[in-house]
Amino acid sequence: MQDLLSVVTLGSIYLLFALGMSLTWGTIDILNFSHGSIFMFSVFTGYLILDLTTLPFLPVLLIGVAVGALMSLLVQVLAFEQILKRATNKKTAEMQILIGGIGVAIIPLAIAQHHTKSNPFGLRESSFELHTWVVGDLRITNIAAITVVTAAILWVAMALWLRRSRQGLALRAIGVDTEVASLMGVHRRRLALATMAVSGALAGLAGMLFTFSLGAITPESGDTLLVKAFACIILGGIGSMRGVLFGSYFLAACEVWVLTQTSGSWVEAVSFGLIFLVLLIRPTGVFGRKEVRRT
Amino acid sequence: MSWYDTNLVLIQATITGLLLALSIQIPLRMGVFSFAGVGAYGFGCYAGAVLVLDHQMAALPTILVTTLAGGLIVLVLGLFINRLNGLTLAMATVAFDLIIGVVAVNGGETTGGATGRYGVISDFTMGHMWTILVVVMVLVALSERGKLGRRIDAVRDDPELASSVGIRVYNYRLAAFFVSGLLGAAAGAMNILVRSAITPLDIGFHLIVLALTMIIVGGSLSWKGAVIGAVVFTWLPDVLQVIGEWQELVYGVIVAVAAVLMPRGIYGLYVEAKRAVLRRRRTRRGAVRAAVAAERARTTDDDEALAEMEDDLGSPSVTPGGSMGANL
Amino acid sequence: MTTSANERVAHAPDSGTPVFEARDVKVYFGGVKAVDGVSLKLMPGLIYGIIGPNGSGKSTLIGAMTRLTKLTSGELLFDGEPYHNASASSIARKRVARTFQTVRLLPDLDVRDNIRLGADGRQDERPNLLSRILGIGGSPATDDAIDKAQLHGFESFYPSELSYGTQRRVEIARAISTNPRLLLLDEPTAGMNQTERAEISQLMKSLKNDGLCQLLVEHDVQMMIDTCDHVFAMNFGKLIAEGRPEDVVRDPQVQEAYLGRKWREHA
Repeated sequence: MQDLLSVVTLGSIYLLFALGMSLTWGTIDILNFSHGSIFMFSVFTGYLILDLTTLPFLPVLLIGVAVGALMSLLVQVLAFEQILKRATNKKTAEMQILIGGIGVAIIPLAIAQHHTKSNPFGLRESSFELHTWVVGDLRITNIAAITVVTAAILWVAMALWLRRSRQGLALRAIGVDTEVASLMGVHRRRLALATMAVSGALAGLAGMLFTFSLGAITPESGDTLLVKAFACIILGGIGSMRGVLFGSYFLAACEVWVLTQTSGSWVEAVSFGLIFLVLLIRPTGVFGRKEVRRT
Repeated sequence: MSWYDTNLVLIQATITGLLLALSIQIPLRMGVFSFAGVGAYGFGCYAGAVLVLDHQMAALPTILVTTLAGGLIVLVLGLFINRLNGLTLAMATVAFDLIIGVVAVNGGETTGGATGRYGVISDFTMGHMWTILVVVMVLVALSERGKLGRRIDAVRDDPELASSVGIRVYNYRLAAFFVSGLLGAAAGAMNILVRSAITPLDIGFHLIVLALTMIIVGGSLSWKGAVIGAVVFTWLPDVLQVIGEWQELVYGVIVAVAAVLMPRGIYGLYVEAKRAVLRRRRTRRGAVRAAVAAERARTTDDDEALAEMEDDLGSPSVTPGGSMGANL
Repeated sequence: MTTSANERVAHAPDSGTPVFEARDVKVYFGGVKAVDGVSLKLMPGLIYGIIGPNGSGKSTLIGAMTRLTKLTSGELLFDGEPYHNASASSIARKRVARTFQTVRLLPDLDVRDNIRLGADGRQDERPNLLSRILGIGGSPATDDAIDKAQLHGFESFYPSELSYGTQRRVEIARAISTNPRLLLLDEPTAGMNQTERAEISQLMKSLKNDGLCQLLVEHDVQMMIDTCDHVFAMNFGKLIAEGRPEDVVRDPQVQEAYLGRKWREHA
């Protein structure tokens, strides 16, 4: 039972992080490799601010959301839009966006590494206090509960938004066919910016919650999470909301299982192995639909 | 002490870095977005250590065996993941690289766990290193010329077109995996022989970033770009010490700017410049006038044709990706 | 621009071994029946044409013939040998060459190298090992193709420096340089003016005199009549008529499907 709880908590963190990546990848075709860096730097900003003053829980989360959204917008305007402007075809554009993301991600990483000397940093100065409730033989921390609830709410909200709203429809149209979308009168640029901002906000939020529950992260934490989030998305199927939900909790379950069965040093291999397995057996993921191609 | 001796460590690092960069560049040049060369590098480091320490092998046989094994491993990987495209292929190879790292941590006595292997001393000399480098560079340079060069260009830029002129694209893609495995493992083996120690931390995600930045900043379409990249990123940290504590940030900015603004790297800029000069010289010689005259002779409506020509100048021919995008 | 009566009579689709034959070829994309049961034969030394409205399956048929597009069912034969399970590159090595609907030149190769890409696959163009490795030495097949497509003076240009019509001629030259036995031209004159079209038509006829079988997909009816010996009309993935170009364009079904008012104006 305690293990199941760990799965749900860990899965919720993955979900929050992967949701942002899945959103941009599934709709505006941007696999943002600076997502991990944005995640880390939001926490780092929080850490710097908390050095100056003590803040309660919610404002810290808001800092994460704001910093994440802002950085994501910056990356979109300064890097991805420039790349797309110059790209000659879709294949090279995809590749350059991946490489550009990796390149841009070095900057926040360098700043954080320089400041912390690559040591772990956390949000200890917040007035937030960790509580643990004991229900039967279950131990639930308040931050775990908050994380799970937040992830659930945000996932539902996002799924509804994509399905119901005008922007959601437009975004899905872009994801399916750029030309159709432009015929529908979609303001591609504005929508892309909004999507990136939402995605970055999710990264920032995930960062704060992750750090609150773990105590501290290192500047390099984002990189590992990036590959794991990729595993979650691939597992469920690119662009599928149900898919990313499934992928996140499935990965968490596998990792917790491996953790209980082995000494623990193999955990990192789980996500990498899963990526392989899925790509070999079912490259479209569990919920992915097959692409229809015409030449 | 001469300049060569005082900087020997950096020179060695440049050579292994160059081979590592090539192990990413060769598949990229064939349109295979694979980072598997970095995994082969990690394998090469450990295999080299094991062969020398546990089997008392000499330097050259160690490198030979390791290189071939690395090539085969990545070739087998390629057989499995070859049908994946673009980003998913890239990520599958990233996963492969990271798995090598996890295996190194969990490999028990063979890999030495978290502390890795150390004390790898052999009869490896700088003469060996230079010879291997020259052989590799000549082969790589030849692959950019003539028929092979043209065909590699076609396989990268338009696989469909390539197969329509009779090129076996599948074989080229597999060859890309094999060669990247060879190069990566060779780089790894030489690295362990000159460095004498390896830990799992040495072969992490950052190595992918390093190899990628070398060819992005240097140039992804020619071995000259890889050389520029390897030299710049091996020596830059040394030079940047002048700037002091913010060197990492400067390094980051350089990479980001290069990745965004000049995707073909420093060597790409040189190629562009060369073409521009060629164009100007052609105008001066009047060849272009002759060509335009020929163009006019065959068109009934001069103005229209010229306008069309101007429109077309500078706008590269776009081949549609044909993808329907992702679904929701 | 007129074709002699003798040549016209030459089309006798049922005698001898066809260069190419399609039997009940179907290509479905999901629920879309792009090509729906097409059977046709192409005889050596003739120029064939396919007309039909946009989306009628002309290009898809060419794609299927070159194995770049997956066949749903049906048989393809080249020289009487079935090849519908072979790879696209092996078909090309049997000397079936094609041009694409969109210009597909390699941006980093100059005109000469773009054309030579086709000549590289020829059996009779194997320079000795050393010059092949070093990338030196000439290519008679490339020179010949440059000649035929009238591309002198453009050899060292890069595709982005050429006008659209010239880019299309480079495409055709590349296909010719493979020394094809069957040449498939997918709207080769799109974006060209009348003079340029006439030149392409002239080029096709001179290739025909060398015995080359060609299949032309084209919208320009006049060019079809001027160039082709035999025309197929397609609509909704099916063949709706075939025969001499003049007859096919007068076929009421064809006029209904494709030409409509436009053709009557023409006549």
